[in-house]
Amino acid sequence: MPADNPGRSRSSPLSAYRTTLLRIAPIVTILIAWELAALSGLWPRQVLVPLEQVGATLLALASSGELERHVSASLYRLTCGFLTGSTIGVATGVAMALSRNVHRLLWPSFTCVRQVPVIAFIPLLILFFDVEDSFKIVIVAIASFFPSALATHDAVRDIPASHREVARLYRLPLASFLRRVILPATVPQVLTGLRLGLTRGWLSLVAAELLAADSGLGQMMEMGRQLFQIDVVLCGVIVTGLIGFLLDGSVVRLERRLSRWRTA
Amino acid sequence: MTPRLKPAALALLFPALVLGWWEWESRQSAGHAYAFAPLEQIGRSFVDMLSDGTLLFQAGASLQRALTALLIGGSIGIAIGVATGLSRLLDRTATPLITTLRQVPILGWLPLVALWFGNGDGAKLLLVSLSAFYPTVLNTQKGMQAIETRYAEVGRLYGFTRWQALRLIAWPSALPLIFTGISQALAFSWIATIGVELLFSATAGLGTEMMAAQVAARTDVVLVCVACVGVMGFALNQLFGLLRARLLRWQPPIRN
Repeated sequence: MPADNPGRSRSSPLSAYRTTLLRIAPIVTILIAWELAALSGLWPRQVLVPLEQVGATLLALASSGELERHVSASLYRLTCGFLTGSTIGVATGVAMALSRNVHRLLWPSFTCVRQVPVIAFIPLLILFFDVEDSFKIVIVAIASFFPSALATHDAVRDIPASHREVARLYRLPLASFLRRVILPATVPQVLTGLRLGLTRGWLSLVAAELLAADSGLGQMMEMGRQLFQIDVVLCGVIVTGLIGFLLDGSVVRLERRLSRWRTA
Repeated sequence: MTPRLKPAALALLFPALVLGWWEWESRQSAGHAYAFAPLEQIGRSFVDMLSDGTLLFQAGASLQRALTALLIGGSIGIAIGVATGLSRLLDRTATPLITTLRQVPILGWLPLVALWFGNGDGAKLLLVSLSAFYPTVLNTQKGMQAIETRYAEVGRLYGFTRWQALRLIAWPSALPLIFTGISQALAFSWIATIGVELLFSATAGLGTEMMAAQVAARTDVVLVCVACVGVMGFALNQLFGLLRARLLRWQPPIRN
């Protein structure tokens, strides 16, 4: 709140340049400090790996196809689990919001199970599905089911009653009612739920892969830990973060695109 | 119209169907009973774990870990959130860094933390504190930015010093969002606690107990722990909601 606050709207190319510089300055500082500390020899090279070695490992993992194998294994599980979980979630959400009896039947159990963190289901799922792919797909499905069901339920419930009355007056069949009335009115909120579901699915998948897997980014990091290869672990951290960022970013872009007509 | 059905009967119908199916599965064969522990056995394990103190001990260890981490991560988060709210320079430098680090799922840091700090209580506390840090810092920042201009103007009229403006205007108006941050941090740190305990099964906690039970193929014990984790998470959330309502009773109720 200082009075000499420079105008936020004024943005010369120079100040934009300065902003970018300020943005990356701490990250660059940390990287330089890391490199200096690694070169100083105070810690063994295995513990504090120089950055160029992390880069070289990343390149080696990428060119040998190992990284691709792990990333595609993780993304395959994420896609299968997310598609299953969010489809069932959206359908359950719509059903609970439109039918009072379905709501009465499912809502109390839904609320109850939703209290349990998804990660806590991992030991149970291992007992049921063994440590194969299906267990990881199921954990992602559960993680994406709850946010998408909840968001869809809330979105459909918030549709003004007048919309539904008009549909009833026109005797709109259920399919066109869902497509013409429910869908456009709920897109932004449902997408927010799907976004949360995707993030949670990714988090739970990495946890599940750390715990029990024969492939996947989580498993790559876990192997790196067991073999004391910090460079491999760091590559895993970087790629995991990057994928999380790209996934979230693409849903945000989709969200903007699909709700453009609202603000226009 | 369908006949009116009693809501309570319908609410109980679904769990009853699931339990019935579960019990039926458990009686199919010895192999099935291995995964589907009979309901009676689950009940017995619960009573056993309660009476020999296992459940209380492990739940206490997890709870203590989650709350300690909330205290550490939450207070650092609020402090940095307030600092970035006061200084634009700090906001522009620290916020992109936090946003970058936040892209990595908490448990993704686990192998690295394990290599650097081992798998003891310190490493666990570090990760759980990190999970509590993100929501508090982000919400505190949001709260500090959302100060109503008329209040800031009143402060300027009275010639408030920076400290007075912070204490009398910015802090109280940021408080509701700070509390939102703490309540999210509470949920996150509970989840992260269970996560690190599952993955670092070295010290006490509900996650460790669950992992041991999984290795021993004790579905009954795993289920008791899952239920305990759910109930405790729910109770923590409710208790914090009450505390928040009491501490912020001078505030008009906020939306959602």
